[in-house]
Amino acid sequence: MRPKNHFITRRDLFRKTAYGVLTIGFGLKRSGEAKEEKSRVVLIRDENVINKHGKINESIIQQMLDQGVCNLLEEKDSLHAWKRLIKPSDIVGIKSNVWAYLPTPEELEKAIIKKLMEIGVFKKNIAVDDRGVLDNPVFKSSTALINVRPLRTHHWSGIGGCIKNYIMFVRTPWLYHGDSCANLASIWNKSIIKGKTRLNILSLIYTQFYNRGPHHFDRRFVSEYKGLLIGKDPVALDAVGARLLQLQRIAYFGEDRPLDTTPKHIYVADEKYKLGISDLNRIEIIKIGWMEGSLI
Amino acid sequence: MEKIINKNRIFIIIISLFILIAFEGKTTTPSSKVDRRIEMENILPKKVGDYKAEGKDEIYNRNTSFQYMDGAAELYRSYAFKLLMVRNYKKNGYPSLTVELFDMGLPEDAYGIFSYQTEDEEVGIGQGSDYGGGLLRFWKGKYFVNVFSEKETPESRKDILIFGEAISKNINENGLKPKLIKFLPEDGLSERSIRYFHLHPILNHHYFISHENILNLGKNTNAILADYSFPNAKNKTFLLFIQYPDELQSKKAFNRFLKAYMPEAYSSPHKKVKTENGKWTFAKNHKKYVLVVFDAPTQEKAEGLIVEAIKKLSRK
Repeated sequence: MRPKNHFITRRDLFRKTAYGVLTIGFGLKRSGEAKEEKSRVVLIRDENVINKHGKINESIIQQMLDQGVCNLLEEKDSLHAWKRLIKPSDIVGIKSNVWAYLPTPEELEKAIIKKLMEIGVFKKNIAVDDRGVLDNPVFKSSTALINVRPLRTHHWSGIGGCIKNYIMFVRTPWLYHGDSCANLASIWNKSIIKGKTRLNILSLIYTQFYNRGPHHFDRRFVSEYKGLLIGKDPVALDAVGARLLQLQRIAYFGEDRPLDTTPKHIYVADEKYKLGISDLNRIEIIKIGWMEGSLI
Repeated sequence: MEKIINKNRIFIIIISLFILIAFEGKTTTPSSKVDRRIEMENILPKKVGDYKAEGKDEIYNRNTSFQYMDGAAELYRSYAFKLLMVRNYKKNGYPSLTVELFDMGLPEDAYGIFSYQTEDEEVGIGQGSDYGGGLLRFWKGKYFVNVFSEKETPESRKDILIFGEAISKNINENGLKPKLIKFLPEDGLSERSIRYFHLHPILNHHYFISHENILNLGKNTNAILADYSFPNAKNKTFLLFIQYPDELQSKKAFNRFLKAYMPEAYSSPHKKVKTENGKWTFAKNHKKYVLVVFDAPTQEKAEGLIVEAIKKLSRK
């Protein structure tokens, strides 16, 4: 049993796997008797989603999204699957990400909007936004949110993933930078967000797996992974995403760099805020499509 | 009566002096900000070859820098960063160039932000430079500069380096590197690996110690991390060298570190442990300094680095 004031250090990470020990270190109870709850995430990839001119194929990304949601919810029909997530009467905010160097692909945003309209959501009740969410009338009156952004490294928080994507729902995001952005998940309790997120999507069409440069972006460290990671549990998606970026760094540099800014906020989101599951042993990854070089 | 008049005169003089000082204070602050901005405008050229400055300069301070670079601003704010000026340049038919000029407040902190990443090529610009992937980074005096291109091409590399030279030439004064660097042992040192910083997230980026700030790093501490290579040793050894404001604070930080990281050595006279990766960690508290060697191949190598660093400290 760890002493109450035990700090997780580099030495703990040598003793166990990085993620395993961090969940134990934060005091997460592991049930030895009852069947442990698992989170389900879908990884779908298509080799042809980026064409030879570097453009994203709209119909392929639509298919990936629909297939991913179907598999997540174990449905055969995509309309049926989406109707389990969103009602026609919902007012839906699509929280995207406009970071100039690697924004959410427009084609993915369009695919989400298309599906929402197909299941009967009025166009006027759908909005895509990032930095303007707090002043956006659709978001202010939203009954449902879809959280979508690209997966990338982030100097201060370790990764830019689902949990971090909601930082624009606060007026003072820099106040959440302390301690490696550990308390990002607290934002998910804000009334504008709480209980509304129906789906999380990490775009892995491109991933940034290493930081360099004035804005922590360098094209040399961007991969064409050609995938989407889809799930209801934002913490699980981030845990899998963080692991993928780590594996990509190892593959690229040919050396083990496992301790590069460990994303503490993912474990805190699990242990302290109960937002989802961060333990990779308790995440079921359903893999669909082209898996060459998937690393996971 | 005369005494009262003299006392009144003294009182009036004192009050006048206070008013004068307060007024001077008020007029000094805005003009120093303006001076800083003017100095930076003069450093950035309006034209280099066929590239011409386009659009208005963007100015950001410690608080508004988030608007320009989101969370990436925290890195610069972890140093004494004062002001950022951004200027864009265009040339017909070529990728545009952007220059970011940071007034880092102190040459040591300009060096510090530069030292954050030095993995690419030294190209001999400023007092230290790094070029790769279409980005030139360099420091000179209290300034740190990024020059980067919208797209990297063989031509853009040439243009970026010409820009760098022009900007460096406009910065009149060199600055001194952090003093702690002088005390680093020289044998086996990889100079390009030296990192200078103040806060623990920066340390963790280069060498993860703990999510908690177990070394009590803060804006009043100065720290260096450097790599060493030894013959026949496959992996690098790291020397962490921290200066605290005073001995009391260094002792407090040292004890906290021992309890958190090397509890088995806390009560022993020699603060050394063989860690789970089979390497040696050795720690020492010397006056207002804490020195820690990580991942040394042998106890002797670990201790040798610390002994040498302390010898150099004692000679200062």
